[in-house]
Amino acid sequence: MENRIKNVLADVLMVDVVLITDDASPETIEEWDSLKQMNIVIALEEEFDIELSDDEVIEMLNFKLIYNIILEKI
Amino acid sequence: MKYSEILKANKLLEDTNKPMYKVSILSNIMVHQSKEICEYILRLNDINASIELGDYDNIVQDSIKFKDSNIVLIFWEIYNFIDGLQYKIELLSKSELDELINKIKMEISIVFNNLTDTSLVIINKFSSLVFSQYDLKSNRMDFLVLELNLYIENRKQLNIKVIDIDKVISVVSIDKSIDLRYYYSSKTLYSIEFYKKYFKYIKPLFISITGKTKKALIFDCDNTLWKGILGEDGSENIKMFQEVQYLAKVLAKAGVIIGLCSKNNPEDVDKIIKSHKDMILKDEDIVIKKVNWNNKVSNIRSIAKELNIGLDSIVFVDDSDFEVNLIKEELPMVKVIQVPKKEYEYNLLIRDTINLFYNPSQTKEDLERVGMYKAQVQRVNEEQKTENIEDYLKSLKLEITTYIDDINSIERISQMTQKTNQFNLSTKRYTQKDIESFINNENYTVLAIGVNDKFGDNGIVGLAILKYKSDVAHIDTLLMSCRVLGRNIEYRFMDIINKIVMSRGFEKLSSEYRKTLKNEQVSDLYDRYGFEVLEKAKNCTKYRILVKEYKNKELDYIRIKNGK
Repeated sequence: MENRIKNVLADVLMVDVVLITDDASPETIEEWDSLKQMNIVIALEEEFDIELSDDEVIEMLNFKLIYNIILEKI
Repeated sequence: MKYSEILKANKLLEDTNKPMYKVSILSNIMVHQSKEICEYILRLNDINASIELGDYDNIVQDSIKFKDSNIVLIFWEIYNFIDGLQYKIELLSKSELDELINKIKMEISIVFNNLTDTSLVIINKFSSLVFSQYDLKSNRMDFLVLELNLYIENRKQLNIKVIDIDKVISVVSIDKSIDLRYYYSSKTLYSIEFYKKYFKYIKPLFISITGKTKKALIFDCDNTLWKGILGEDGSENIKMFQEVQYLAKVLAKAGVIIGLCSKNNPEDVDKIIKSHKDMILKDEDIVIKKVNWNNKVSNIRSIAKELNIGLDSIVFVDDSDFEVNLIKEELPMVKVIQVPKKEYEYNLLIRDTINLFYNPSQTKEDLERVGMYKAQVQRVNEEQKTENIEDYLKSLKLEITTYIDDINSIERISQMTQKTNQFNLSTKRYTQKDIESFINNENYTVLAIGVNDKFGDNGIVGLAILKYKSDVAHIDTLLMSCRVLGRNIEYRFMDIINKIVMSRGFEKLSSEYRKTLKNEQVSDLYDRYGFEVLEKAKNCTKYRILVKEYKNKELDYIRIKNGK
């Protein structure tokens, strides 16, 4: 599950998956801008067949938060 | 395929060594997910596209910035001309609405003007589906969209293709095409699902402009043109696949080569074509028949050879696993289609296949092509009968007609530069606009040639574009349709070119051969003409000859006449 999220993030951000550490966030990864943030949400929704609410999307500020939100949804 | 998988696969397909096709997407909404999806679909079709996105809501300015792209694609969303137009429109006064309509029309007109020289511009029809789907009666938005679409239709020039986006939205469904969450939060309207279908839908436009359009559709017979096996079930017990045959007939009328490649007794199949009451495809539609007991690999090879087309221009339809796999294995360039189990699926599959033959502008030559190809096959057969090729050529009564700077042939001339791959020395693709400007420029001569012989008229089949600079005449473009190869036309053509250059008083004639994947057969053409190599690089050889030293090949049996 953790790896599935990391792989999605790596594919969308087009970076090596090793860069997606537990602390990964827009601050640590240069490619992670606001457009990519939206692509990440879309890709995660598709990957886990879930729909994220506006509030959840706003909270997805780094890998850990993304992980926790997805965990709650599925 | 999921979005993240597409991103990953697209990255793997990127090939920076191949020439890049530059596509720009301009929009007044956010469309950033379209980039990789479009690239991926094109790269799968061997079009190495690189997509650049314009700035958000900056279409007018971007139409200047990106006018040199190979293709410009415009997503102009009616709802975002004014923020919240979908709910504001009903309260606009009549004059405010008129003002809005005029402003939009003006912007469309400016953008179209800016993009006059771009090879291809794709624009979507405006759509009101998304927000007016709930309204029982037509609302103002529907009328606005109707009026603007009409305006586009009347205002557009030849290089603009208008896409009926509602068709794509219908296929995907409105709910799945759009994601209003993102529209309200960040003006991103369309979903990943939508983009996948959209780019698949408009793909034929890209395929045709990059010269990858298919030319021939070859059918097996049993369980492909009809249900049943002729040799076993007998002619009275087979049932025609009517829709497939009708679709094939329409293609034949549009200039696509229809052929047969089937293991059967030739007399039996001929009899069905001639006299079966339900048979739709007739001899007049079928250019080539390989009905025999030879293996299909060699049959398809000889089809390509006799018609003088590439194997990658052929689509082959068969029902048998064995034949389908054999061709896929042995001739991977041939596009193979296997007949599905259910007839309605087969009909749909052939409908989808028609896109591979998409031809944006139909010329007189296209409409007469079936006859021309048939004459070609007849010629090849007669050639095999005649021992001496020279005698054979003399017996053909060949005649070249020259058309110099002929305004009436612009469409066909541009089409030849877009479609000709094999006998094409520099493979420069030109739009109709380009050709028109060459014709009107006295530093250029646009020389088109037509060829006819005793079997028929091939129409305009050759083109040379000459460019004059100080004391040198340069052959910018030299190409010929494959239909007329092997008849020494190319030598007679150079006689004509040399004569024109000489009459204009130039002493030197220069040229170049630019190597592509498909034009190997003319790699030594200028050597054969007697040109001298000036400079040889990996993919380009530059040549020159002194006009007075050019040797006429004395092919007097090919007559020349002036077309105008």
